[in-house]
Amino acid sequence: MGYIKDEIPQTMMVEGDWQVGAYRYKANRLLEEYTQGLKQKKIIGSLCLGCGKVIVPPRAICGRCHRRQEERREVSPIGTITCFVISPPVVRGKYKLFGLDPVDTGALKEGEILVPCFVRFDGSDSNVACLLLNADPQKVFIGMRVKAVWAEKLEGKMSDLEGVEPLEK
Amino acid sequence: MRNTAIIGCGQTPHRARRRDVSVAELVSEAVSAALEDAGITMKDVDCIFSGNMQGFGGIAQPDLWLGDWIGAPGKPAIRIATGGTTGGSVAHGALYAVASGMYDIALAVAWEKHSDSKEAGATTGLAHVGMGNLFHALSYGLSLKNLIATTAVGAAAGVAVYQARFYMHRSGATIEHLDMVAAKDRRNAAKNPYAHLRWPNCQPEDIAKTEMIAYPFRYGHVCPASDGASCIVVAEEKLAKKLCKKPAWLLGLASYSDEENQLQSENYGGVGVLDPSEQMGCRVSAKKAYAMAGITDPQKEIDLAEIYQPFPSQELIFAERLGLFDDGTAWRYLEKGETDINGSMPTDLSGGVNATNAIGSSALQRVLECALQIMGKAGEHQAAKPVHKAIAHGWGGVTNYITVTILGDSPR
Repeated sequence: MGYIKDEIPQTMMVEGDWQVGAYRYKANRLLEEYTQGLKQKKIIGSLCLGCGKVIVPPRAICGRCHRRQEERREVSPIGTITCFVISPPVVRGKYKLFGLDPVDTGALKEGEILVPCFVRFDGSDSNVACLLLNADPQKVFIGMRVKAVWAEKLEGKMSDLEGVEPLEK
Repeated sequence: MRNTAIIGCGQTPHRARRRDVSVAELVSEAVSAALEDAGITMKDVDCIFSGNMQGFGGIAQPDLWLGDWIGAPGKPAIRIATGGTTGGSVAHGALYAVASGMYDIALAVAWEKHSDSKEAGATTGLAHVGMGNLFHALSYGLSLKNLIATTAVGAAAGVAVYQARFYMHRSGATIEHLDMVAAKDRRNAAKNPYAHLRWPNCQPEDIAKTEMIAYPFRYGHVCPASDGASCIVVAEEKLAKKLCKKPAWLLGLASYSDEENQLQSENYGGVGVLDPSEQMGCRVSAKKAYAMAGITDPQKEIDLAEIYQPFPSQELIFAERLGLFDDGTAWRYLEKGETDINGSMPTDLSGGVNATNAIGSSALQRVLECALQIMGKAGEHQAAKPVHKAIAHGWGGVTNYITVTILGDSPR
């Protein structure tokens, strides 16, 4: 049996388009409650009557005891960092996301150092992934106390919660 | 269940770009090697399990045409795709089929050909997995900056870096330990002709010189994107004893998934997993597989481990979760060299996923490498101590899906 690879030295490249936006995705409306809360500077979580955990943002079913979560609780805008990661300074032209340069789109600034972190807001039992702002990356530590940073204009969007910043400067 | 064993192993060398072959030809190389190793032909094989990660590889539905290419038209064929653990699940498929008594000889083959996708790491494939969730969050006004910083960046690396942070905080492991694991894996890979990132005499200092990607991960910590395929032949007891001098017997297997611990879970809701390095799915899988294998003290009874560790922190995390070391102590054994080729718990002597990552193939390679060690066919990377019982592990990306397979040198 002869292999085609014996005759053809290299595979061929074919260009094509793929409509990645053309999906139907079954989503729930829980983020609506969460973002409406943010509009009033409130952080809302779901209380599980099975295990007593408060999960932020709220979810439909507890991942641990699989109960439906009907109860809601407002948690404190002050919390504790449970985990953080430090990026190197952002360089234009180095990374691309779906073909776009984050600096060109204005999402990130040249030379900016990002500190994504997990925050456990007081009164909740889950981690929220967000950005740590207005902090010296060298002085961040696990257990650091932080508070929510709100957008200047609250619109009922996820971007209303811009991130967190150190409680004491 | 019937006694079942792996009687043949075959893999292709794993490289960055295999432009000389198509997916089918790549797969056929591994299949031919495995059949030759088992000393059988395709005529003897009863059924085929195949798989690569969903959305990856650039070619849809390989299950429909693969049989013809590996010389097996008309044989029962099943494709399995469970993300990062695909290879582990493909192996389980073949083991289930033979152990159940339905077929006598089954073939399991898994592969990935990353270079068929233009973007490194098959970004389009990952987009396919997460796009719905991402658009859902965007429709609720997730800012672009937050999207980039906390959600979209790095796929598995983006998840593993938080996992590493949690582990390091609670165990006391440092970035130097990650350097040590990565250096060990590169050194081991140099002894494995099928591995991708082969670096003889690589030292932790060499890894420490590489660029920082996101603290605590350096460039030298991260796995490559490889092209490659691996294949095992599974047979029932009588045939295994007849065909193979030293088969690798199945002792126990299990797969579990825990609550999704992606940064933000399905529908962008909150997640109850407080510590991404908790990996409850792995604990439960290991417990179940040990019970099946009659193993009560894995620290004493397991001789060797092949852990799915695209990032060095995961070798430490999962060694503990598989019960090979006490909680938070894996790095102490690493320091003492116990996970080296001549150590008491040799780990990833093949170089593991950290040195070779053709995603679909990766978890099957762990099973295959354990089989090679038990058969005594690992060659230059054969463990110094005799290997009676070995454990193979697979980790499925962000969703916490784990496969565990335990092999031994004698039947159950």
